[in-house]
Amino acid sequence: MIEHGPLLERLLAGEFICAVSDDRAFRRLADEEVREQIDTYLRPLNRRLATNDEGSVYFLAWRQLNDEAREQLSRQLGETLHSLMPMLEWLQLMQEALGHDAVVAPGDVLKPAELSARCEDNQSLREHLERLAGDSFFGSQSEQLDAQMKQVFKRLKEHGYLLQPHADRQVYLVTGKIDYLVDLVRFIRDEENLPVDDETPTAQETLL
Amino acid sequence: MSDEHQLESRLLGTGVERLALLGKHAEALMQGYSRDEIPLEALSDTALRRLLAARIVWRPDEQGGVKLAPRVRELIAEMLADETRRQVNADVGETLELLRTLVQSYREAMSQGEHWRQEQQLLRLRQAVDDLNGRFADAIDSLWQRLNSDFGFVSRLNDKIRENDRAQKQIVRLLDGLALIDFDELIELVGSDGALRKLLISQLQRQLSQHYTSLREVQSRLTELMARFRQQQSRSRLVSGMAAFLREHPNFVPGNYARRSEVPELVNRATPLAAAAAPALDHEPDARVLTELVHQLPTPVHKPQEVAAARPAGVVEQSLVAARQQALKQDVESFYLTVIDHPDSAGISALAYLEESGMEWGKEIWLFQVIAEYQGLPRSEQRAFRLHQEESRASRFNDLRLIHDVTLQLATA
Repeated sequence: MIEHGPLLERLLAGEFICAVSDDRAFRRLADEEVREQIDTYLRPLNRRLATNDEGSVYFLAWRQLNDEAREQLSRQLGETLHSLMPMLEWLQLMQEALGHDAVVAPGDVLKPAELSARCEDNQSLREHLERLAGDSFFGSQSEQLDAQMKQVFKRLKEHGYLLQPHADRQVYLVTGKIDYLVDLVRFIRDEENLPVDDETPTAQETLL
Repeated sequence: MSDEHQLESRLLGTGVERLALLGKHAEALMQGYSRDEIPLEALSDTALRRLLAARIVWRPDEQGGVKLAPRVRELIAEMLADETRRQVNADVGETLELLRTLVQSYREAMSQGEHWRQEQQLLRLRQAVDDLNGRFADAIDSLWQRLNSDFGFVSRLNDKIRENDRAQKQIVRLLDGLALIDFDELIELVGSDGALRKLLISQLQRQLSQHYTSLREVQSRLTELMARFRQQQSRSRLVSGMAAFLREHPNFVPGNYARRSEVPELVNRATPLAAAAAPALDHEPDARVLTELVHQLPTPVHKPQEVAAARPAGVVEQSLVAARQQALKQDVESFYLTVIDHPDSAGISALAYLEESGMEWGKEIWLFQVIAEYQGLPRSEQRAFRLHQEESRASRFNDLRLIHDVTLQLATA
């Protein structure tokens, strides 16, 4: 159990463990035996190991849901929902600024300076960033584009969506927590029967 | 026999001549590859005639321009590994026909004792087998190239999905082609001839089974990649769809999933827990370690601090200004008290008072403060005074009023 000490500590601190944030720990968690050991350890703390549908991130869940836990989960859900719109807007901004037609994915490298430069040249990206950075989730007070971008990245790092491998270098990696967020969005869509479609109609279907 | 030799040397000569044409007009031909037509201004009439005769270029219709022959285009695409235009075509059926024909000619030549012809047929057979092998190898190479670059030669996800789909169809055709090769039939065809058996059975079988394994591998990797492309596409649509929905419905609130009897997995995230620890001295060996650690702590360096020097100069300045402001206010208040004490029907001139009292305030600032004091009074107290401003227009053309003096008197007086 001792070799899982640092991993347990990170999990208990509320971190999401993925292949980007901790590759070794993540590979160890792929082993069912290790997962069981950790679960046994967590039992008296009323916690257990949980993962998303694709198994791309691990985090801790409550084992028994008492009133206190439910209260906490409601609050947490409220916070997550509050962050939902700014996060979706950010994903769209990244997609537009990078000129990709896919949403950023775990392992993608993001450089704020490069992104700032792209926003600077493009009025609509610039306005998009301004609107986003001013949202209470990101909370930027600045009118400077660079400062806005920096604040947005800082907050995303604090929330575990981004990882900064070197403290002195402005290069960030997207973590697996993004997967969790997308899964949550899909879950809400399904639960609330929202008219949001994510399937591309195939050629035959369009013909029909 | 000599006829055949002649034919061969003539073929050789013409082949070398025509291959040289490729090099000689490489630039014009490459322009024809990258554009639609070959620019004719770069070619002389003779050169064009030769290129047409060699079927390196052709003219699809009388009025239209000159274009690269499809085979040459394929050759260039193959040489450049240009995945947008590389073709995958194993053409197994036709090769099998060719092999059958060649085997029969080979047999005939053997039975008639024509050794030279027999050698020739064997050579052509070997080439046909190599061609077949090479076509599969090229096709597989092209597939791996595309796979490893994530279809990097197209940028949009939709194009990648289409290209992946096309590659998968090519694999199916290649696998169908492999299935056409029936080794039982080949065994029957070669009979007991050792050279044929070696070429058409053992060599071909070994090569084709390698191709088969590679194709299956590429196929499964392409399927995986396709799943990833589709997942990316679906994510992108989900994110933009949800963002659009939330923009349209800013007050949308989903149900409280935490209150359900079955809390969904995704929503169940435990509160962070800090695994805190503090130094404890109840364990003898630890105490020694702790003592050492304490010794290793860097000694804090206390620098002597001069209290006076620590005071920022700006603050002094500020308090000085505030003090003067306060003194001015007090002097103006005394002026008001004097007016109350000496009810004079004409009132007291502020400037005269300033001069008499021998105070050092500037005239302008004094008047300003007197007026400010009046305006700062509550309305009821304002009524007790009458403030008369002695003023004039700045000039005939400027309606700005200049105040020269103010006279203050008690309203009752």
